[in-house]
Amino acid sequence: MLKAAINTDIFKESIDVMAAMVTECRMHISPGGFSTRAVDTANVAMVSLELSAGAFSSFDATESDIGLDINKMKNIVAMMEKDDTLSLDLPEGGHKIEMSFSGYKYSIALLDVNTVRKDPNPPTINLPGKVVISGSVLYNSIKAAALVSDKIAFGIDPEKGIFYMEADGDMDHIYYELPKDDLVSFVPAEARSLFSLDYLKDLGRVMSKSDQVEIHIGMDHPVKFAFSIADGKGNVEYLLAPRIEAD
Amino acid sequence: MKANLCIECKGRRFCGLAECPITKRFYAGLKTKVSKEYMGQSPSVFIGSRNYPSVSGGPLMVGESDNPEHWVRKNYSIDDIVDIRAGTIRGNSQFTGKQPLPDSHLQEIALSKTPLDVEVAFVKPVSFDLRFDGILAPVGLSGYIEKLDVIDNASVPVVVDKITSDTDLKANNAVIELYKSGIDHHYITQLLTSGQLGVNRHIVPTRWGITAVDDTISNALKKEVIKNPQVTGITMLTAFLHANRIICILFPGEFRFEMIEIWNKGSMWGGGMEDTIIADSEGEKRKANYSPISGAYYSARLAVLEYLRSIRRSASVLVVRQVSQDYWAPLGTWVIREASRKAMDSSPISFEDNTAVEREVTELLGSEKWKEYSRLLLDMKTQKKLSDFF
Repeated sequence: MLKAAINTDIFKESIDVMAAMVTECRMHISPGGFSTRAVDTANVAMVSLELSAGAFSSFDATESDIGLDINKMKNIVAMMEKDDTLSLDLPEGGHKIEMSFSGYKYSIALLDVNTVRKDPNPPTINLPGKVVISGSVLYNSIKAAALVSDKIAFGIDPEKGIFYMEADGDMDHIYYELPKDDLVSFVPAEARSLFSLDYLKDLGRVMSKSDQVEIHIGMDHPVKFAFSIADGKGNVEYLLAPRIEAD
Repeated sequence: MKANLCIECKGRRFCGLAECPITKRFYAGLKTKVSKEYMGQSPSVFIGSRNYPSVSGGPLMVGESDNPEHWVRKNYSIDDIVDIRAGTIRGNSQFTGKQPLPDSHLQEIALSKTPLDVEVAFVKPVSFDLRFDGILAPVGLSGYIEKLDVIDNASVPVVVDKITSDTDLKANNAVIELYKSGIDHHYITQLLTSGQLGVNRHIVPTRWGITAVDDTISNALKKEVIKNPQVTGITMLTAFLHANRIICILFPGEFRFEMIEIWNKGSMWGGGMEDTIIADSEGEKRKANYSPISGAYYSARLAVLEYLRSIRRSASVLVVRQVSQDYWAPLGTWVIREASRKAMDSSPISFEDNTAVEREVTELLGSEKWKEYSRLLLDMKTQKKLSDFF
């Protein structure tokens, strides 16, 4: 059972977080709020989203899992006005969720939970290096790299005390570094990993709206981006597997 | 001239020359047939794309079906098909604006499942006007129409009648409905081209209609296929049709489609010095821009998706099309659709790993140059998965 109301901007932001990676997900509803974890079909990237009950203007729920068609949600969200209120209503054991906003009352069929991929195990990896930068700086560097290449390296040089991003195209090269004084937070450790810009462009667009994005990196290991949404009442983590250099 | 310009252009004169130097070669071999009248069958309607929205088009006139699936069933050679098409007359009238065909006779020809008998008077005797462009099947003769009479009544299957009468059904949904009801690609293209599908009905140049039908059906199939479980092993399927070799490799993985097109040196658009290769690919998202491989990409993708749907699986797919010197006349993008369908019908050969299948493909193609064009192979080698870490 779910009966809740939420600001449309927060709901839209949450859907965008998921849509950057997956087309459907299992959403766990509990008295504490919403949570979900999903991997993309290529098993290269993972998203986890937690939206606490505090992110909603009113929230009353019992434990249940629903299958959400993210593509469909994206289309509906596009109909919503900014800074409006969205009411969600799901009866106990219901297969349709009622979504009401600006006079519209949608009754949306949910996906059968059993047809949606099971939650992946939570990651258990150690990423020693950490920096915190603004989402817009991060997204700009991704866009800059995409002009010359289809992959980007993130790295930390602990001796120089810098965080850097670097991309190599067939002919061109781009390098961008941030000294630790320009970073919100800096945990130095020898780190450098290469990532596909195809994925990062989609994730970067979402992260660009965040003031602070934590980047956790290691040596040829996945990268973890962590940031908050909904004024800190929601937490997002993206995990992206690295590429290795071609021989 | 840029080495691969001819491959992208295929007779559309991107080079700026007054006449395409490659298509010009074919005028020589054609048999003359000059007449001011035509009495016989008209199997379909053709709409040109030049100068759209002011276009010319009309009935095609030839004494047999011009459905490529029919040519394949009859086992026609390239020479047979070029002979048929060289003797085919395109009757022309001018059409303006984005509207349905104003002539009900033409609508009827397109609507009919079987060729209709027509009587046509031309303004002047028909003349040579052979154009090859890679997507369309060539047509040899053309003439401006003075008068067109249709003698037969159109024979229309119930489902076609129903869908063409439904003016609330959007064109893309109409195409999908027709396809799911078993109507073939050529017939659907006829209905779309003649402006008999959709809400805002208008003429669609045949060239665009062919690719639009390929693309519309593929997008619908793709939505189903990406949800299917992935194939478990590496398999290769191959076929050969009209000097086009199609090699299709299915890899376990999320849905991806990549096509590599190799025009062997000395082939029609391939130039003289060395093989010309282009590649294009897409992932699960809807393809955003028109493929540089042009119509062939969409036709091959359709055949692959039809197959994946039939086996209820998804896969990362790599298709290689190799065009040899023997492909002396471009017959249209249907060659790729039918060659790919033929490949998907062949018995799959299994391989242990990527190295083994790559070696086999290189042997078939006679060169390993294709490999460096593949994003998919590179990604499989370099992109780690999360499961490699925990």
